[in-house]
Amino acid sequence: MAEPVRRVRVVVVDDHSIFRSGLKADLDASIEVVGEAHDVESAVAAVTGAAPDVVLLDVHLPGAAVPAGSSGGAEVIRRAGPSAPGTRFLALSVSDKAEDVVGVIRAGARGYITKGSSGADVSRAVHAVADGDAVFSPKLAGFVLDAFGAAVGETAAAGDELDRLSAREQEVMRLIARGYAYKEVAAELFISTKTVESHVSAVLRKLQLSSRHELTAWASARRLL
Amino acid sequence: METSGAEAAPRPPLARPRARVATGVSSGLAAHLRIAPWLVRVAFVGASFIAGAGLMLYVWLWALTPAEPGEERSTRRAPVAWLLLSAAAACLIVAASTGGPVVDTAGGAPGAWFAAVLAGVALAVASGAWATFIDRPDPERGPRTELAIRIVATAMLALTAVVLVFGPLASWYPVPVFAAAFAAALGIALIYAPTLVAQWRDLTEERTRRIREEQRSEIAAHLHDSVLQTLALIQNRAGATSEVARIARAQERELRDWLYAGDSTVDSDLGTDLRDFAAALEIDHPVTVDVVAVGESRERASGELAAAAREAMLNAARHAGGEVSVYVESRPDGVEVFVRDRGPGFRLADVPGDRLGVRESVIGRMRRAGGSATVGPGVGGVGTEVRLRAPSPAEEGNRG
Repeated sequence: MAEPVRRVRVVVVDDHSIFRSGLKADLDASIEVVGEAHDVESAVAAVTGAAPDVVLLDVHLPGAAVPAGSSGGAEVIRRAGPSAPGTRFLALSVSDKAEDVVGVIRAGARGYITKGSSGADVSRAVHAVADGDAVFSPKLAGFVLDAFGAAVGETAAAGDELDRLSAREQEVMRLIARGYAYKEVAAELFISTKTVESHVSAVLRKLQLSSRHELTAWASARRLL
Repeated sequence: METSGAEAAPRPPLARPRARVATGVSSGLAAHLRIAPWLVRVAFVGASFIAGAGLMLYVWLWALTPAEPGEERSTRRAPVAWLLLSAAAACLIVAASTGGPVVDTAGGAPGAWFAAVLAGVALAVASGAWATFIDRPDPERGPRTELAIRIVATAMLALTAVVLVFGPLASWYPVPVFAAAFAAALGIALIYAPTLVAQWRDLTEERTRRIREEQRSEIAAHLHDSVLQTLALIQNRAGATSEVARIARAQERELRDWLYAGDSTVDSDLGTDLRDFAAALEIDHPVTVDVVAVGESRERASGELAAAAREAMLNAARHAGGEVSVYVESRPDGVEVFVRDRGPGFRLADVPGDRLGVRESVIGRMRRAGGSATVGPGVGGVGTEVRLRAPSPAEEGNRG
């Protein structure tokens, strides 16, 4: 596709300098790293100062005054988010713990990617987030299906219902959990990629806003992410 | 040449029967010696008068004679704890009734009543011990008997101590009276000692467990920040399917399992089993397998579905490599497994009939198990997708 690739300005936040430099070296040429930070305080300063398009944000970030039950990553979003309205956050994690990843997503991150992902994958995710899309890994999709009771047949009756997924959203999540890329999901369901993206964004919104207790209780009990 | 039956039959081994009166010593011994149990009992009682020899022999045999082999629970017909408590009460009553005359006449020799009090205390403690150690595990008696014995024994000993200390004897023979009262108080403590010891042990264990748990989570946090990050970085830098990355990934998985082993279920369900199998595949083949499981799995890991899924994953690892996605969804009406690779792909029709791999071990196996399997190209013609479906046992029952 000859789509013009727009440059994306990124701040990388991780407490391991070796990881930051490795990630910087791996990212696409279309991604410009405009700042780095190693803890909550410096991250908030870097994000408010540089106002990047995307922040690559480590979930487990050291920092003073991170409340118990929260993570450093979620704290950065909470503090820096309001002062940088154009900035989107993409969580980076080695963690398998659902409570951490769901925690940053509920704080406002637009997606989640594991640190084991290749530079190309991270770059793709950065572009997707910069374009306003949500980034779902198969594991996160599986978690969402579980947490919203899709496996036991709970389906939203109205489109604006926050605590359950619509039938279409379930189909999309199922295919993502099966390892399909958005484009492949679109081909399988005979809809456009744009429509898939809007379904995923809707699910992300539900994940952020829903008050289903499974989202928190279930996640910590099964650590399935 | 034939000896008579009575002579030929070997003596039954010395063992205590499971259905006992109290300890099974007498009836076990009687069976071994082939005499009537009451004879043995009379002999024990008679010998007890010879400096307690009968009693000592009885206790010795009780300690050393094994119970009859078998699985069934021992039952005891006699309420031993209550009998011991009655004996204790008898001793204390005797002590109370003989206390007066001894004081009046002997003048400074409080022998008989003192011994009776000590015997009463010892019997009450023995009764409590029996109730705690032998009656409590017995379903026919249990904790209610233990509680009742303890209450009565405590009341008895407390009453004894109070009567001794506040009675007229205390002013005449302060030393033996207070010694006896102290023995009674000690007896009360001994009756409750087993419970207190057990509680103390539980408390210590609980504290140790909590400390260990704290240490473990500290170690986990530290390793999470250091080693797991490094392993992630290695995978990232080495390219997803390179040997180094695979080793790093396997190590990461092992470390993670070890760190968080505390909160995962022990029994293996389908998702866990396939995850383990994926980890093994990643070590042997240039492949990364992502297993996502949704729903409460009731499928056994040993079932046909699991075997077919493993075969499909093995095929994907062997022939396709690269990234393989496995998705397990357990719904009330059945379980579905999808195995998807991005390899060169293959068509079932192209596989020669003598190659049994997919046809037999995946499709045939699922059909025999009452499920279904389809093998086809992945979406957009990329790779292969295997789809396995097994109905839940309930649905299968309805159908057949």
